[in-house]
Amino acid sequence: MNLLLVGMNHLTAPVELREQMFLPPEEEKDFLREAAGSDAVKEVLYLSTCNRVEMLASVYDLAAGEEAFKRLLSLRARLSPEDISRFLYIYRDEGAIRHLFRVSASLDSMIMGEPQILGQVKDAYRKAVETKTISAILGKLLHQAFRAAKRVRSETALGENPLSISNAAVNLAKKIFGELKGKTVLLVGAGEMSELAARQLFKYGVERLLVANRTYSRAEQLASQFQGRPVPFDLLGQALAEADIVIASTMAPGYVITGPLVAQGLRSRAGRFLFLIDIAVPRDIDPVCGEIENVFLYNIDNLQEIVDENFLKRTAEVRKAEIIIEEEILKYRTWLDSLQAVPTINALIGKIEGISREELARCSSWVQNLNEDNRRQVSVLVESIVNKILHDPITVLKEETRENGADLYISTLRRLFKL
Amino acid sequence: MDIIFFNIALGAAFVSFCGYLVSFLLKRVFAAKISMWILALVFVFLTSSFGIRCLTTGESQLLSLHGVLSFLAWVLTGGYLLLQLKTKTRVLGIIVSPLVLVILIVAWGGIEAKAEILPILKGSLVPIHVMLVLAGEGLFILASGAGAMYLLQDRLIKKKHKGTLSRLLPSLADLDGFNRFCLLLGFPLLTLGIASGAVSASTVWGSPWQWDPKQIWTILAWGCFGFLLFKREVSGARGRKMALFSVTFLVLLLVSYLAVRGFLPTIHRFS
Repeated sequence: MNLLLVGMNHLTAPVELREQMFLPPEEEKDFLREAAGSDAVKEVLYLSTCNRVEMLASVYDLAAGEEAFKRLLSLRARLSPEDISRFLYIYRDEGAIRHLFRVSASLDSMIMGEPQILGQVKDAYRKAVETKTISAILGKLLHQAFRAAKRVRSETALGENPLSISNAAVNLAKKIFGELKGKTVLLVGAGEMSELAARQLFKYGVERLLVANRTYSRAEQLASQFQGRPVPFDLLGQALAEADIVIASTMAPGYVITGPLVAQGLRSRAGRFLFLIDIAVPRDIDPVCGEIENVFLYNIDNLQEIVDENFLKRTAEVRKAEIIIEEEILKYRTWLDSLQAVPTINALIGKIEGISREELARCSSWVQNLNEDNRRQVSVLVESIVNKILHDPITVLKEETRENGADLYISTLRRLFKL
Repeated sequence: MDIIFFNIALGAAFVSFCGYLVSFLLKRVFAAKISMWILALVFVFLTSSFGIRCLTTGESQLLSLHGVLSFLAWVLTGGYLLLQLKTKTRVLGIIVSPLVLVILIVAWGGIEAKAEILPILKGSLVPIHVMLVLAGEGLFILASGAGAMYLLQDRLIKKKHKGTLSRLLPSLADLDGFNRFCLLLGFPLLTLGIASGAVSASTVWGSPWQWDPKQIWTILAWGCFGFLLFKREVSGARGRKMALFSVTFLVLLLVSYLAVRGFLPTIHRFS
């Protein structure tokens, strides 16, 4: 059994391609089933966020699994498998474990330490569980990843890292507006990331908040946190005319904010500046908006470049986090190694024999009354019962190991017998 | 004494320019901060030099080349420092300081020349006319300097240029505000300057309008100025377009001014 991870992120693939890879939530489960349908693949998990698309699997055959995933992804991207390879990274076994842990702990994020990614990994896990494309090996791996992420969060300062997308956005806003006092920010889509950015902007003097969200109740809820005002989604144009800074983060498949909409909003605002921040993938704001005079558009890739400048400052915390991750990898490996059939069988036999020995010893008072011959017969009897009981499970386990990889049985066995 | 002060001002202007250059090239705000204080020294010494000259000679200094140019430098420096109090527009010094330096060097060339002022110019309104027009045009130059910086910063932000240059430049809103401030202050000054010029022209030449190249040029500059202010205050234009207009107008006006100075005869002179 091997682990395989095939994926692309904000560093390896342009935003256009990542947009192409975007799957509507209702199609995700079909995609998972399709991926799990390949003969080489045993378990599979599909993680898709703003910045990444990743397929994590336990496979019987690494090369075949790789081929299958490349083919699936290339179909989605409408590229040939050869072409898509340029944008992909492929990790195997320990490399795959490390990558997943780094992703979950937000070390591989565009904004290191951002809290959203862990939730997204958990979401991907939940979907895989619902689709039943995940079992023992990946299940345990994911839980270990959650653990690693929590440790990184609590034991390093990465989580409080001020160099988030919001700070990059605040600095840009200052470059444009000079002073943020009295400015109005409009959130289009009420995600966790945009909330974070809004909080940061408020810290630097922004005074008014408008929230436009497809689900109006969520808009109301977020707006009330900032004494802001919810805006019905179809009145977006009006809200644009009032806003100085717009943060767009909807999951909509197309552009929510178009050139004409912005131009119309600008007409009634007498040459004020408009700063558009697009942190959604697929993008929410038509790139032509950035060409309009006095309008400045930044998408997540642009913000990434700014964040990168400050990379060095965080290396100390990053190093701490990497150590935690190595520790967690070791724990997982230990568990994974324990899944080999032979040690499990030995452990099982050892445990049962131990029990029978103990029980015999406990009965020593009346066994002593027997003569030597009978005493020997009792112990032979116990031994043969134990062997008979263990015979079938061990045989089946060995068969399964040869044929399918018996991780599920082994892990179940270990759990049931507390090995 | 006044010459010593002027020379100190000239030296300080040179040091200040070097400081701004260093600040700009090495992307260090610290050098710009020091340069600003040196520029403040330039202002102080120019003021002293000018004041002493006026007091000792007992006549206005605005009718000699030296006087006119040092006054222009004084306006530029003062205007810039005033803005510095309001906004953090430090790096604008990279445009203002070389301008001041060049003007002072030219003024230094004429420092000893005793201008033989035309007797007809000894009317009382002429120095005021010169002062107002110079102040107005100085502010126009500053407005365009801010415009040039605006265009640069706008480009850096639009092109998503990363690096420290953009961080060193003032914010777009500050630059735009600077441009507006200079226009709002400069336009009335220039208007009053032209008006006072017209009054003295009608007393000296008999008519306020002579079709003199310099007059035409000044009216042209006034028109550009007015257009910018109109666009800003009435049509509500802001930002890049205004900056672009300011810079284009300044370049056109400078070119035509040099042409006027170089090739056309003018009766509009001091000696």
